[in-house]
Amino acid sequence: MRARVRYAKLGKLRFVSAIDLGRVWERSLRRARVPIAYSEGFHAHPKVSFPDALPLGYASVAEYAELRFTEPIDLPEAMARLNACLPEGMDVRSAVEVADGAPRLAKWLRASVWDLGYPDAAAAALPPAVRAVVEADEVLVERLRKEERTTLDLRPAIHHLSTTDDADDGVSIPTVRATLHHVEPPMRPSEVHQALDDAARRVAGVALPAPTVTTRIAQGEPTEEGLREALDGTLVPSHPENPEEATYRDRQPAARRDPGHDDIGVAHPRAHPHPHAQR
Amino acid sequence: MVKEPAGVERRWLLVYPDAYEVGQPNQGVQILYEVLNERPAVAAERGYAPWPDMEALQREHAIPFFSLESHLPMAAFDVVGFSLSAEVGATNVLTCLDLGGVPLRAVDRSEGDPLVLAGGHAAFNPEPLAPFFDVVVAGDGEEFVLELDDLLARAQQHGWSRQALLERVARLEGAYVPALYEPVYEEAVVTGESLPRLRATRPRRSDLPERIPKRTVADLDAWPYPKRQLVPLTETVHERYAVEIFRGCTRGCRFCQAGMITRPVRERSKATIEAMVADGLASTGLEEVGLLSLSSADHSEIRGLCGDLADAYDGTKTSLSLPSTRVDAFNVELAEELSRGGRRSGLTFAPEAGTERMRAVINKHASEADMLRTAEAAYASGWRHLKLYFMIGLPTETDDDVLGIAELGLKVAAIGRQHGRKHKVTVSVGGFVPKAHTPFQWCAQDPPEEIRRKLTLLRQRVSAERNLTVRAHDPEPGLVEGLLARGDRRVADVVERAWSLGARLDGWAEHFDLGAWQRACEELGIDPAWFTQRPRDVDEALPWDHLDSGLDRDWLRDDYEDALAGRELDDCRWGSCYDCGVCLGLDLDHELAAGHGASLRASPG
Repeated sequence: MRARVRYAKLGKLRFVSAIDLGRVWERSLRRARVPIAYSEGFHAHPKVSFPDALPLGYASVAEYAELRFTEPIDLPEAMARLNACLPEGMDVRSAVEVADGAPRLAKWLRASVWDLGYPDAAAAALPPAVRAVVEADEVLVERLRKEERTTLDLRPAIHHLSTTDDADDGVSIPTVRATLHHVEPPMRPSEVHQALDDAARRVAGVALPAPTVTTRIAQGEPTEEGLREALDGTLVPSHPENPEEATYRDRQPAARRDPGHDDIGVAHPRAHPHPHAQR
Repeated sequence: MVKEPAGVERRWLLVYPDAYEVGQPNQGVQILYEVLNERPAVAAERGYAPWPDMEALQREHAIPFFSLESHLPMAAFDVVGFSLSAEVGATNVLTCLDLGGVPLRAVDRSEGDPLVLAGGHAAFNPEPLAPFFDVVVAGDGEEFVLELDDLLARAQQHGWSRQALLERVARLEGAYVPALYEPVYEEAVVTGESLPRLRATRPRRSDLPERIPKRTVADLDAWPYPKRQLVPLTETVHERYAVEIFRGCTRGCRFCQAGMITRPVRERSKATIEAMVADGLASTGLEEVGLLSLSSADHSEIRGLCGDLADAYDGTKTSLSLPSTRVDAFNVELAEELSRGGRRSGLTFAPEAGTERMRAVINKHASEADMLRTAEAAYASGWRHLKLYFMIGLPTETDDDVLGIAELGLKVAAIGRQHGRKHKVTVSVGGFVPKAHTPFQWCAQDPPEEIRRKLTLLRQRVSAERNLTVRAHDPEPGLVEGLLARGDRRVADVVERAWSLGARLDGWAEHFDLGAWQRACEELGIDPAWFTQRPRDVDEALPWDHLDSGLDRDWLRDDYEDALAGRELDDCRWGSCYDCGVCLGLDLDHELAAGHGASLRASPG
């Protein structure tokens, strides 16, 4: 039996690389006693594959994995068990069974929605910078690769770009939402920031502080209104949402975890002010 | 292990002074982490040495050394405990303390500063780092940390001053408070030597013990830790569920500090081991089990244990491994059992020396005929690659002994070729560094250039053999390791100076900076060769004499003389007691899983 899942990778898990993540999956599946299939041969590895890799440092609620099991299983029940065994910051948010011979998942992942969360200080500079980028015919960004500097045009990759309306309310995080086509070479949110920073300097004469956290919100098929998510077809709006209205970006599952085994640093909540802490 | 914030009263920071990928799998830290965290009022967290780029960023942004779990700064902890597995972590200790805003030297610390503690194998000669620690403990830490934690609780309750606390800590069994002990040096310098010798290290007060005993946990079944081994999310050097199947070793290899300082043998029972493996695999999801000890094939129930585990995990994706230093057919038999139907790519043996004469000196019981039979058995059972571990620079070594390594390697390669054209042998060679509390503690260490010459000799002899690869590290770091292994308290200034000159992560070839150490030694008038390359008199005071490993000094000297005469000594786990002093001194016996140790050996005397 095969299944496709969408999962989140948040918090400290942002800093776990794609290679290490494969092992995290394997060990979590073993802990949850989910009957994952293994490849043949001396170097047997579990049949978990990923359509693409999230660049290191980005958070995401829209990563995908394809799993093959040795036997038919009750998918929702197995995923609930798996969620209890995944490290804090990771959880499966939807899962569907797929038939053998189904088209590759990567085929459905045509674009990504990214939220770039900025410090409050960036609030005023964002709207004009976003406008400038959207209105430009060409948005050149520089990329350094193996000491070689190349210039690329970001503009064709931008399907949609918008920012929080009233980020000055002191409550919401000033956010830029970028819907980027998956093009070759892939364009990254860091390059969206680079373009916005260039625009802010040009338009308002100010530098834009770097986003604190960048999160992939969804992957799927870009449409007029937004993006249709690859697994369940939910429409994800192309404009940053109010936290109360954000239906797609569901919250962490309520199930309590046992964080004793995964070494992400088990937090011991602080006691009363520590005598040494002031220094 | 997530705690109610209101209950936490004492914070311990356990630091392994090397990179996370090296330190995370360390059993000692994981055991103490659990033992301490089982107390509701204690929060134990961990820390690792920052890589130089991280250190630079932390300094640039004034971010102190912080814990992995809560990102609390070092200064917010009551105790900072360093695990000293290896000597070359010395400068990393200073990096951590300095980044943590804790004064490097105990004498400069004040009331609010954490208590800085050290333990681990390298703590058996704490003197080169003594001024940096408030407390050092040699031996097993499980019971000691809890006793120290009890004292801390009382200190908080009664508002004891730092000094009052330290004086009480010094009375805990096994606690060495360096500030309360004073090294006294001879007034005259021996002709031809560069430094006055040590006369003795003495307690500053009469109510303190002259020699501080090591701590020993008698019953490992009563301490089945780690129960909840932490699973790393980023790659580390060892990713396996590790069970310590016994502590201690009685093989009596004379170069081996670990074997000498961890006596007597204390085996875990087969039932406890099997339960730990089952629980450990279920709760961690790890795909490999390591049955760890200093010589795992020597466990009294090893055959049954390996058979049971192989049966239990047959056909699963779980692999089993058994690090062993033995060089005999039994090892191959066990390895076969553990790799049933699995991959047999590489198998490792440690002959340690190349000739029978040299092996008699170091007390490594293995005849050449044995080893060749073992190689034959291994290749015949399907292994295609054998790795052989050796040392050079051993006491009394001649060029013939060095070339003996090459000859043995060539013979093994020839056996391999009979089984397959591409069958390989790797000869791995390390430079010998004499260690404290061993029969070789008096020996001269080969200087790096001599190790290099011997390596060249060896390499030339095997250069025509394509199926044989020689692996060796640069010999220069061995000089620093030797200085730290057998230095006295005067070496602490060198450590601090080398660190301030930029020495970092000395165990990493890409970071090791011999120049910083040389300059530090020159500036301070310390000749490292006086500590490392000078044969010491057998009745000379040694910097670690006041730490009692349980080994009788007279026995060590006799064993040293036996070594020089090429006389071997039997394994006292099975043979008769030769009265090394440990069992009698600790009022303990070798604790064997199969029956009782006492019934297996003759009584002493």
